Amino acid sequence: MKQNLYTFLTLVVLASMALSACGGKTAETPAAPAQPEAPSPTQSAAPESPTFSGTATITFTQEPDSLNPLYTTMFFSGITRDFWLKGMWSFDDDNNPVLELAAEVPSAENGGLSADGKTIVYKLRNDIFWSDGEPITADDFVFTYDMIMSDKNVVQSRYPYEDYVTGVTATDPKTVTVTFSEPFAAWLTTIFTYVLPKHVLQPVFETEGTLDNAAWNKAPTVGVGPFVFSEWESGSHLIFKANPNWIHPPKLEQVFIRIVPDDAAQEAAIIAGDTDIGVFLSSDQIEKLEAGGTVDVIAVASGYDEGWFLNVSPVNAHPAMLDPNVRKAIALATDRFTIVNDLLDPEINPVNSTYWDGTSPYGNPDLKPYPYDPEEAKRLLEAAGWVDSNGDGTRDKDGVELVLRYITNTRELRKNVQAVVVQQWSLVGIGAKLENYSSDVYWNGYNDGGPQAQGIYDIAEYSSVGSFPDPEASANFLCSEISGPENPDGANWQGLCDEELDALLMEQAVTLDVEKRIELYHQIGKLMYDKVYYIGMWLDPDLWSVNKRLQNVRLSGATPFWNVHEWTVTQ
Amino acid sequence: MTTYILRRLGQAVPQLFIISVILFALMQAFGDPVATLGARTPPKPEDKERLRRMLGLDQPAYMQYVTWLVGNDWQKLDMDGDGIAETPGQRKGILRGDWGNSLVTRRPVLEMIGERLPNTLILMITAEIIIIVFSLAIGLYSALRPYSLFDNIVTGLSFVGYSMPVFWLALSLMYLFAVNFRRWGLPYLPTVGMFDPAVGKTPAELIKHMILPVATLAIISIAGYSRFVRSSVLEVLSQDYIRTARAKGVRARWVVWRHALPNAALPFITLIGLDIPFLLAGAVVTERIFAWPGMGRLFIDHTERADFPMLMGILMLISIAVVIFQIITDVVYSLVDPRIRLE
Repeated sequence: MKQNLYTFLTLVVLASMALSACGGKTAETPAAPAQPEAPSPTQSAAPESPTFSGTATITFTQEPDSLNPLYTTMFFSGITRDFWLKGMWSFDDDNNPVLELAAEVPSAENGGLSADGKTIVYKLRNDIFWSDGEPITADDFVFTYDMIMSDKNVVQSRYPYEDYVTGVTATDPKTVTVTFSEPFAAWLTTIFTYVLPKHVLQPVFETEGTLDNAAWNKAPTVGVGPFVFSEWESGSHLIFKANPNWIHPPKLEQVFIRIVPDDAAQEAAIIAGDTDIGVFLSSDQIEKLEAGGTVDVIAVASGYDEGWFLNVSPVNAHPAMLDPNVRKAIALATDRFTIVNDLLDPEINPVNSTYWDGTSPYGNPDLKPYPYDPEEAKRLLEAAGWVDSNGDGTRDKDGVELVLRYITNTRELRKNVQAVVVQQWSLVGIGAKLENYSSDVYWNGYNDGGPQAQGIYDIAEYSSVGSFPDPEASANFLCSEISGPENPDGANWQGLCDEELDALLMEQAVTLDVEKRIELYHQIGKLMYDKVYYIGMWLDPDLWSVNKRLQNVRLSGATPFWNVHEWTVTQ
Repeated sequence: MTTYILRRLGQAVPQLFIISVILFALMQAFGDPVATLGARTPPKPEDKERLRRMLGLDQPAYMQYVTWLVGNDWQKLDMDGDGIAETPGQRKGILRGDWGNSLVTRRPVLEMIGERLPNTLILMITAEIIIIVFSLAIGLYSALRPYSLFDNIVTGLSFVGYSMPVFWLALSLMYLFAVNFRRWGLPYLPTVGMFDPAVGKTPAELIKHMILPVATLAIISIAGYSRFVRSSVLEVLSQDYIRTARAKGVRARWVVWRHALPNAALPFITLIGLDIPFLLAGAVVTERIFAWPGMGRLFIDHTERADFPMLMGILMLISIAVVIFQIITDVVYSLVDPRIRLE
């Protein structure tokens, strides 16, 4: 029976290949005879219209919730905007801004940044148009701001507009002025990373009273970028077609994004060459993917570092966690180098020393990861008074056992790390109570029973990032952000309140001078390292696969497809 | 007959109502939809609180159910968070044909189901036809020659097929026919999706991309169903009336087609009747692996996101289909089996 089935399958395949081959030829023929015709003078005088060829196929493991940036902050929705909805600038593979809609990056020299740092003036390019030919003006930006802040729209996030921006005005059609309540250091990566077409969406907002149900959210046929939205079939694919009217016309004819939710299936599709680009691969896949010689796997830093966030709250942490020497001992007793070596790839995932090591240049280059030194760990613990007085194998002090609640989500890799760490700790007499929460619970706020927000842990492991490539993540570490019954929305889940750290974090947040801010971050990193508020586990860059048939791909961490207009395909 | 059908339909109304209450209660255990909205970057707490308020998730569960059932256009909602309800509600409720909007995509549930249903049906109906034809053929052939070489081989293969996990079979087929065949220079099949973007959406492409998922679905079900048909035919063949038919000299072929098969097929009809509504639900694992944009994936994707309006929509649709197809099965049963009368 199987044999019959197989013969049948082969026949069908052969038949369909023959059919599809025919289809391809007929499509090509009409173009050929057009060329040898005698060139008429009008034709040669006409402006050269760019020609596009080839399809780049990309697999996404998650489908975007929406394409309208108002309604989603998903990674897989955001990266499509490099094709069809550019912001003021993108970031290249060295994380330098590349101008898109803006004519210049505002600075003190060009008058874009006011002396008090509370006003930023954006000058728009004169030659930018929506894909339907309408000019892009400052009004589009004002409209975008209004839509983000409107109570009629159930927008996903109002950060940073809600907390920092006091107003957006159109000084003239090509000048946008943004005013802030206080200087806002992270403006470069967070303000106007996208703009909405007012001429398309304003009428919708006026008639429907909201943009929540706008057709544009699913089918944004008007955009601004090297490609234009063409179609989105739910669960299947998205297609973006070349936009000849963009300032940098692309070389490819289309970008095809296929939704492939299964990791193993994505791997098969990459190896088979059915997709040109894939992302969120793991280091154990590299060898298999590169084996055929047709695929390169590239690690791109996007600011994510895996780390341990230590609960140092006097209210709910284990008493030992309040002693910096015990925290240091925990770091020294954990052989992260072996973990990285055994479970990951030390070339791609080296152990990090600060929260900002993945956000170059803000990581302090003078710091080295805490070494693995169990003997020193024992010495520190004994000096702190933690000894095994009852001989149960775990240290104790004043009748309290040194058993730490080490929590993370249910990701397999993290569970494996937990298992290894328990063993390593047992060698120095530290006990562990492991907990794993599903992701929706793990990051919940105080009122929703989030274990981190409620402080029912001593060490929490996860990977996080600031506003990459900006380092801003202060809220996680500020005294005023400590979560609790009075401040359920607080983002500081470590109960961390260090006056010196607080002062440095507040200063960097309003420091617009980049060099000075880098220096401040190096101080912050050193302070958190010395007092052991954070223990780095490993750098966690994104692993992308790129098929060699696709050329000139230079992926970046913040706006991966920033140079898509330069991509070409070879057959 | 008409009164019977009407009575059954009348019973279906409270039945569906109870199902909807139970399902909605179960939804409460699915987790927090707002928590997963940011995917990789968990939403900021203040955004979470605002989203909950705007999406009505801060309401008690019974109020959310009432909204889902009959809508909220008769009350005002607090959208700006000042504690005063000012914006009139928009929902009409499922009783007035409004299946709600997905919390994740903010799009109408019915529209999203409508996009996926054809894809699922094309896959599942094809697979179901192949399953019915092959399992009847194999089961019948085995039953007519029990313990022959063919029967033994088929029995062996059935147990292999039946005990194979779907994801393993799917990935094995994919690696063999799509990855390795290509490497070995043989005619190969595509890995994922419904068509090749370089060629476009043609019927030939669709067939090519359907082969592996349909094979995955078919192999496992044929293995099980052919056993079912075999034992059911064997049982009938040992009945007195078959012996009588044979004794009075009826031709062997006639015995099988006229006497054995219709009787043996009765339980099979029940089985298929129960299967059909679930064709709407799609195949979760197969669709996921072959990146087939069907209902199974819609369901699983939105389960992970605790998107209860979407899940309620899909589950109610399937519940309605189950109720209707049960009635249809019973009616068909009475037509096929003269011993049964619907009164």
